[in-house]
Amino acid sequence: MLSLIARREFTEFCRDGRLFWTGGIILLLLLTALAVNWQHQRTADAERLAAQTLDYDDWVNQEARHPHDAAHQGMHVFKPQSALSMLDPGIVPYVGSTLWLQAHRQSEVKFRPAQDATGLQRFGNLSPAWVIQMLGPLLVIILGFNAFAGEREQGTLRQTLSLGISPYQLLWGKALALAIGLGLLLLPTLLFAMGMIVFTMSGNAMVDALWRTLWLGLGYSVYLGIAIFVVLAVSAKTATSRMALAILLGVWIVTTMIAPRAISDASRIWHPNPTRYEFTASLDNDLGNETRKAWMENFGSDQRWGSEVGIDQWGKALEVDDKAGYKALDHQFHKLWDTFDSQQRVQEWAGFVVPLLAIRSFSMGVAGTDFANHRDFSVAAENHRRIMQDKVSHDLVEHADGHGDHHFDYKSTREFWATFPKFTYALPDRKFALAHNTLSLAILVIVLLAAMVLAHRAVMPRKA
Amino acid sequence: MKSALFGKVFLHELRVLIADRTLLLVGSLLVALVLYGFYNGYQETLQREHAAQELAKKQADKHAENITTLRALLGGEQKPDPFANPFDPASVGGGMEMRYATLPTLALSPLAFGQSDMLPNYYKVTDRSKASFMYDTEIENPWNLLSGHFDITFVLVYLFPLIIFALSYNLLTVEREQGTLRMLLSQPLSLAILVAGKLLVRALPVLLIMAVLPLLLLGVLRPQLFQADQLPAVLGWLGLVLAYGGFWFALALLVNIIGRSSATNALALMAAWVLFVLVIPVVLNIVVGLLSPAPSRIELATKTRLITIEGLNRYHDKLSSDYRFTQDPEVLLPRDGKIEVAPRRQAQFLIQRDVDKEIQRVLNEFSTQLAVQQMLVERFGWISPAIVTYEGMAAIAGNGAARYLEFQQQVDRFHERWKEYFEPRLLNSIAMTEQDYAEMPHFEWAEVPVQVSGILKRLLLLVIPALIVIAFAIRRMRRFSVV
Repeated sequence: MLSLIARREFTEFCRDGRLFWTGGIILLLLLTALAVNWQHQRTADAERLAAQTLDYDDWVNQEARHPHDAAHQGMHVFKPQSALSMLDPGIVPYVGSTLWLQAHRQSEVKFRPAQDATGLQRFGNLSPAWVIQMLGPLLVIILGFNAFAGEREQGTLRQTLSLGISPYQLLWGKALALAIGLGLLLLPTLLFAMGMIVFTMSGNAMVDALWRTLWLGLGYSVYLGIAIFVVLAVSAKTATSRMALAILLGVWIVTTMIAPRAISDASRIWHPNPTRYEFTASLDNDLGNETRKAWMENFGSDQRWGSEVGIDQWGKALEVDDKAGYKALDHQFHKLWDTFDSQQRVQEWAGFVVPLLAIRSFSMGVAGTDFANHRDFSVAAENHRRIMQDKVSHDLVEHADGHGDHHFDYKSTREFWATFPKFTYALPDRKFALAHNTLSLAILVIVLLAAMVLAHRAVMPRKA
Repeated sequence: MKSALFGKVFLHELRVLIADRTLLLVGSLLVALVLYGFYNGYQETLQREHAAQELAKKQADKHAENITTLRALLGGEQKPDPFANPFDPASVGGGMEMRYATLPTLALSPLAFGQSDMLPNYYKVTDRSKASFMYDTEIENPWNLLSGHFDITFVLVYLFPLIIFALSYNLLTVEREQGTLRMLLSQPLSLAILVAGKLLVRALPVLLIMAVLPLLLLGVLRPQLFQADQLPAVLGWLGLVLAYGGFWFALALLVNIIGRSSATNALALMAAWVLFVLVIPVVLNIVVGLLSPAPSRIELATKTRLITIEGLNRYHDKLSSDYRFTQDPEVLLPRDGKIEVAPRRQAQFLIQRDVDKEIQRVLNEFSTQLAVQQMLVERFGWISPAIVTYEGMAAIAGNGAARYLEFQQQVDRFHERWKEYFEPRLLNSIAMTEQDYAEMPHFEWAEVPVQVSGILKRLLLLVIPALIVIAFAIRRMRRFSVV
């Protein structure tokens, strides 16, 4: 029975061209986005690998020089891109991917792709995720707004029900038809993505990427499932299809257009993040306090690099200064990142009312393109910088300190450079992604269940 | 006769819209959206202005402190700090005296965030390489950058068309569906007058709210709005609202003339909106990126590092010489107008200078590429009125890409001047005097006035499509079926 209803509904979608035209355009957008992102990501990744290797080779092969000067030259580290960024680039266009690890200070990840783009970037970033998140529900509305209301207007609803079909069967049949229609878009995209993964990757990385794709498929199915049941509920509850359409379009506008921006601005009011000026000022302040305190404790003078501390102690001084700075850097950066986290948490919870926010969070989390991944990279890079710094000051303490008024004529050689580790960083695996995104997935599932209950109540036979 | 009829239609429609509360509902919704959008933009502008004041104060305080230290050192009341020595050009040019180059906000700034949440509104200029400050960005949660902000521009570009649809998607069809259209047109009343009256009743109040409310708020909160040089921007804003709103009303008219049922109209209008506001801009963004791809930032990074390595080798001797002040603190004080600038510090200056020189070619590639992209947007932007309006808004608010690019270039030139001022002093070990402090270069932002021709071009790009749509509607009116 169920399949009969679904088949009938589906035939109707096909017959009046709704599925062909709107679905066709959306599928075209999906596949274009996928192809463009994939190509972009492959060139970027190849270039990154080459640069990273070159960078380390240059480091190891540099001439004999004072280790602190070598630390000024530093190393560049480049953030690897998750394979799944072809499906959902997440925040990648808005964060940098290059870090220059240098002496003295933690730097920020530089070069956001959005900086090299025009203002158009702010209209959105064409990606499969964007298409499904924004246009997916709209397609459900176009296919489903008259599912019940239209039949009621034509009088066929009464006839169908008089045949003894339960309204719940009708509901699930129509839901199934909609699901098949959407599956025709979602499946090719996922299969295409999986094909590219199998084609270009191997080993553990491939398995990880495939799993992630499946999880994404699950997440988007739940998201579109919510849309299906909400649309059917509204269609069943309203008297005319015109009314159903107006209500559904209103809901779509509020939940995909207005709410994400309004809530994003609200989250900034609730958990304000500092401006660059404020952040720099308070970081400078903390760094100054911590380092002066450390100098006082170790050398009996709080004037950093002053004439009180002999040049024969500068190795030690560098070590003391750096170590004192780490604390201040950790404190300030983590405070900033925690603020971003809290802002995002507000948006995730808002997912109960605006499922788009929950799926967006889940999707970029699983794709490995969210802030948690970015933060993980930033922390790993900073740790690498500290390893370099500590090795440098240790070398100076060992070899340069205690040489009277000679400090900068001390040179380290290649044997020393070769002891520096390579920066080998891999993005966290899918377990990290799932652990960070249970909340958003749970919210999606709960909302789906609520939408089902709503739809059931809407089709419940009314007494009298 | 015609005008009397038009007046009757107008008044009748007005009564109907007031009686069924549509006007009240839609009007108050629009007011609420405008107020929230304005609040967000205004807060952001205040924050920026506050930061600019703080920076100016910090710069002035630092300057005063340097002068005090300088005098105290000359009087022998204090011992010099080797890395913060007011006589040493290496210390002074390298951050003791710094210049915060800030981009001021314009009167209309609260209307559009534009690029202001991403690109910095100030740079701290010292004699260090621009690689050390030019790549900074404003601090903002990337999630929020992805979502975009709820500003007046968002209300205008995205939501205002929807408000227009809500009022006019069933302008004629509802009369036909109720059977009243037949009765109306059996009177001596032309379809054109009926439609014109109905449209005007709906257009006037919403256009008025959208165009005037933000200006009123600006007038109260930002008196600089009334300066004569703001007139082009203010007129530009009014023109953009009227032309953009006009386009969507024209489209609603066309759809009503063609349309069979109210539901079809609603779907057709939504389809146009999705196409013009959502799909075309993101597709054009991709196309522009494919036609003029950004050069590699990785290459820039690698290049910078390689030049630094060369510099470390070239200035090896200077870098290897030791600081002498721990032995002989006297070297920190000026003698006959000279001061010993440590060779290491000269080397560091030279390395950074060389980096700047050498990476200029790569940096130029970036600006050229961005200019080409911008040109492509200008050339193809007309296919969506949303793009034209968005870009126009960012420009008149002073937060558009072009003004930020100009700011970067002015800062770049100032940075060169700053380095040129210090280079001879630093390399020839000339001590800084109190007189020098008064004569050091200052950053003066030279405003690029809002281009009237640019605004007019944008308005044309909105008005022409609107007129084409209206012409279509008038042609179709002849074939309009009343039943």
